[in-house]
Amino acid sequence: MRGEGDARKLIALAAIWAALLLAPFWMVPLGGYTALGTRVLVLGLAAMSVNFLLGFTGVLSFGHAAYFGLGAYGAGFALKFLAPSTPLSLLCGMLLGGIAGALLGVLLVRRRGVYFAMVTIAFGQVFYYIAFQWSSVTGGDDGLRGFSRQPIDLGLFSIDILSSANAFYYFVLLCFAAAVTVMAFILRSPFGRTMIAIRENERRARFLGIPVERHIWIAFTLSCFFMGLAGALYALVNNFADPRGLHYSQSGDFVMMAVMGGMRNFWGPLLGAAVFVVLQDYLSSITINWMSFLGMLFVAVVLFFPRGLLGFIRQTAK
Amino acid sequence: MTQLLFFNITNGLIIGAFYVLMALGLSLILNLSNVINFAHGGFLVIGGYIAYTITPYVGFWGALLIAPPLTALIGLVVERVLIRPLYGRDPLYSLLLTFGLAFIIEDGTRFLWGAQGKPVTIPAVLAQPLSSDFFFITGYRLFMVVMVVISVTLLFLLLRYTRLGIRIRAGTLDLETVAALGINVRMLRSLNFAMGIFLAGLSGVLAAGQLGLEPTMGTGLLMPSFIAIIVGGVGSLTGTLLGGLLIGVASGVTAVFLPAASEAIIYVIMAVVLLIRPRGLLGEEGMLT
Amino acid sequence: MTVLEVRNVSKRFGSLAAVRNISLSVPKGELRAIIGPNGAGKTTFFNLISGFFRPTAGTILFDGRDVTALPAHQRVTLGMARTFQITEIFPELSVFENVRIGTEVAGGYRLRAWMGRAERDGIERRVTETLRLTGLESKAHRLVGELAHGDQRAAEIAMALALEPHLLLLDEPTAGMGDQETYEITQLIRRLHRDGKLTIVLIEHDMRVVFHLADRITVLDQGSLLADGTPQEIAANEAVQAAYLGRAA
Repeated sequence: MRGEGDARKLIALAAIWAALLLAPFWMVPLGGYTALGTRVLVLGLAAMSVNFLLGFTGVLSFGHAAYFGLGAYGAGFALKFLAPSTPLSLLCGMLLGGIAGALLGVLLVRRRGVYFAMVTIAFGQVFYYIAFQWSSVTGGDDGLRGFSRQPIDLGLFSIDILSSANAFYYFVLLCFAAAVTVMAFILRSPFGRTMIAIRENERRARFLGIPVERHIWIAFTLSCFFMGLAGALYALVNNFADPRGLHYSQSGDFVMMAVMGGMRNFWGPLLGAAVFVVLQDYLSSITINWMSFLGMLFVAVVLFFPRGLLGFIRQTAK
Repeated sequence: MTQLLFFNITNGLIIGAFYVLMALGLSLILNLSNVINFAHGGFLVIGGYIAYTITPYVGFWGALLIAPPLTALIGLVVERVLIRPLYGRDPLYSLLLTFGLAFIIEDGTRFLWGAQGKPVTIPAVLAQPLSSDFFFITGYRLFMVVMVVISVTLLFLLLRYTRLGIRIRAGTLDLETVAALGINVRMLRSLNFAMGIFLAGLSGVLAAGQLGLEPTMGTGLLMPSFIAIIVGGVGSLTGTLLGGLLIGVASGVTAVFLPAASEAIIYVIMAVVLLIRPRGLLGEEGMLT
Repeated sequence: MTVLEVRNVSKRFGSLAAVRNISLSVPKGELRAIIGPNGAGKTTFFNLISGFFRPTAGTILFDGRDVTALPAHQRVTLGMARTFQITEIFPELSVFENVRIGTEVAGGYRLRAWMGRAERDGIERRVTETLRLTGLESKAHRLVGELAHGDQRAAEIAMALALEPHLLLLDEPTAGMGDQETYEITQLIRRLHRDGKLTIVLIEHDMRVVFHLADRITVLDQGSLLADGTPQEIAANEAVQAAYLGRAA
């Protein structure tokens, strides 16, 4: 009885990884292009990081783009001012996002519900504001430029991720795989189960001896590290870091990706990101009013598909 | 120097008054219905554009009288159709909804009225400065403050002494009991929402006269409103009032010493308040969810 | 040895005094029942003991240690477990998963990111054992939210047991149950008391259960302590009778 469910899960997992590994090959005939896939991976990782809190801990974190943006700027600064090393830039981005999250998390975790959402948004906006105003350092509205992803020197040979879209895609896929594996590990661990307990019934979790605020803080910090990594990768995708990546509307996009794909499912946000990115790409190319269509999509999903695509599929399958 | 300081404090109070108007509307909706209205800035813009459209026919004063109620009506429809289905659910969904709504409104106004800023003419009687000493207090800015004072007073009187007001305040504390007393909670929420949107629409008309009109002006005012609420304390309208004035004044005063930091200061105040008094200045214990 | 000692504890909500100056002492291994008419402050009293909120005055000692200022989750770690009047469980998880969380916390695993095979098997064994004790072994993989009311209550007790407590606080364990379910839960509690040598304090309205199980009974009325004694003493106590009968149904 349990074996059947496990087998199905394994097949699904294999299918997902196969699709991801072969993306550059099946995307092109469908009218896509490899760089689009790379963007989906990065934004998918960000959406999955938000879902770490939203779907799995039940915490309404809405200002998460701030740590994404910090990751992007961290990577940019590292490449511009520290050393032309891609791995270093990723590390810097991750650390900047994660440490900011750890510090702010202390202030944030006492609140819940909409108040928590408000405060996370407000704090996120602080970073947006700084990036926007401190133009001497961050480039202001124009964003941080003048850096690019560096080829990865592995001693014997180097991987040119700058000019080869495919090579870069596989590099990002590798990072994605590493991050996602760690995330999955955490969620299946005793600690991960306490997160789910907090989501399911916070009071009961507390009376089972779980220090709820501390665990939410840990989940928050972990999620911010992942966000930082996603942001750093995004900076590498564009060779550019943008204050808009810190704005709360970006947070809204990530949350929407998670909801659209299905919050209760580990891979849901990735699916949501794929749909979102493709739709946005398509819409902005055929109409200048793509923003209102995006808004209508938000409204439609919220009213009619709150469980997202995967939730909808699961429901109709029953 | 002191005159400069005085100038900036008064300027700050004027700015603060404006923040208060916006933030109160947002706070009303938040307190009763647990909804963060991301589209609040959008309703401000709608109010402004409606005023712009009807001014040629009814003049500035006519627009001032008609645009806010009209905006409130639109808000009522939106609440009934889009937001009401979401009340029982996780607050995440109403958040996302108002979020999407903000996009629709911004793009919609761009579509209907164009992306260019639109000038709004205000009556000549208001455009004059009060005197050469107080050159910065134009009649219009004073008028704005007066309007805010009137609206806020009316709002507080309504909440204190009318049946609707009492029910709203009771509902903010314990909606379940209010419902159990046989009061139509759905209607209460709708009316409360409309009141909040009325304030947003009014802000829009006033802002149009001061800043001109453009589709993106609403979003810039949303954040200070948030911060006013957080600083003043969630759940307390008086707190929001205080918060709005505080950040307005702080912003004005900082402009004297460090002009570039006049916007940053409101974030700093928020951080400080959250550190030493997490529930906000007048927030209530246990209002943290 | 006194497991729980409450000294002059009071709780006010604004001008409402929900609990007034109550003191009691529960020795190890006792099964104490707390009874009283509705509104007597029994659940508030439980909330004070378990750390749901702090008392306005007074001290609470658990195993001789002052826990008055200790947050709820730390009291749990010290060995205090409770169930709630309205069942607090994880409805969308299976019975096994519900009990597992408590077992992992008790085992010290709550911050762990990884568990070895041997540790996992150990946890599984303990969960199964707890389920066997509460008679839920056959329902281990069903969703708790789908169980019958009586089974849900048993599951909540199982979750509390998983924490390996020395003090078990049960808030109206037989609320909303029919005769058969009441009997089963009563038997379960009795088993836990005798075989597990647990100290148990329970709030109950069903007098059959109270007189069947309790070693000692404490009666509360309008936030104050009305009487405290053996079941025989309480049954004969006129003030208690007045308190109950004086309240028209």
